[in-house]
Amino acid sequence: MDNLILALECDTANEIICRPDNVVELFEYTEALFTIGPLAFTRTVFLIFLAALIVVVSLYIAFRRPKVVPGKFGVIMEAMVGFVRDDVAKGTIGPDGVRYVPYLLSIFLFILVGNLFELTPFINFPITSRMAIPLILSVFTYLIFVGVGFSKNGLSYLWGIIWPKSVPVALRWFVGLIEFVSTFILRPITLAVRLFANLVAGHLMLALLLGSGWLFFASVGDIGIRSVIGIPWFVFGLGIWVFEFVVAVLQAYIFTLLSAVYIQTSVHPEH
Amino acid sequence: MEEIKGAIALIGYGLAAIGPGIGIGIVVGNAIQAMVRQPEAAGVARTTMFLGIAFTEALALIGFVLFFIA
Repeated sequence: MDNLILALECDTANEIICRPDNVVELFEYTEALFTIGPLAFTRTVFLIFLAALIVVVSLYIAFRRPKVVPGKFGVIMEAMVGFVRDDVAKGTIGPDGVRYVPYLLSIFLFILVGNLFELTPFINFPITSRMAIPLILSVFTYLIFVGVGFSKNGLSYLWGIIWPKSVPVALRWFVGLIEFVSTFILRPITLAVRLFANLVAGHLMLALLLGSGWLFFASVGDIGIRSVIGIPWFVFGLGIWVFEFVVAVLQAYIFTLLSAVYIQTSVHPEH
Repeated sequence: MEEIKGAIALIGYGLAAIGPGIGIGIVVGNAIQAMVRQPEAAGVARTTMFLGIAFTEALALIGFVLFFIA
């Protein structure tokens, strides 16, 4: 029970406050549930598959039999799909952004479910707080926007970045250098780090506040009336919980929006 | 000079948070001004505001990650 709340391995029976030596322990790989050859199937891997399954199943249930007047669940899913298609894809990329809706919708829903695992009781672990998940998603976005840029504009895509026409000639090499580094090196890194760091910070705050509140309650026999100190921690933690809900939804939105913006800069590089 | 003890990475993170803090304040303040002056363009202003926040925030988050790495 305590392990699930804190998401760390800890013998709470012997220690009143189980403080990890290093916060990295909060994100360490738990022992494998089972192994297939060199691949270990841990709790995080299980959660990754669970997130993908939730996305697929909820989309299947909502759109298996499209109705003229959908039910409550159908309305929610249609609102999400419509939001990604109209606001994110068409709003930033333009009319030909419909091509990228499947990718954008997939990453939006997957990141959203993965982020909301942070707030789900008894799971309490955002899979996006492991660098591997945001990194692979941002690598996908990177491959798509670089590929689209070269396939739509050929080599003039690269030339337009390192030799921008809208800048005075004397400054072109410098602006081009900055643009090159920011487009091809910093974009994927910041895209991944933004999601990763937000979720790490959120998981840390929730684990510390709710976990310490819970442990103060649980140790009422050892420290007596002083365990009342757990109440403000718990209340504060619940406030952060609401805040983290906003952060989880917002980060999924921002990741999708930035992917769309990066694709847009490749489709229409002159803007 | 005496030896400085403690986590210098903490100071680094604090310094890294100054710029983005000011920057996000400017972004959001101007976005609110735009939304109030032209409510019909509020949607565009909101989207651009989130973009600006995301770009500005990245610096603070890199500092946050470096704090753990250091």
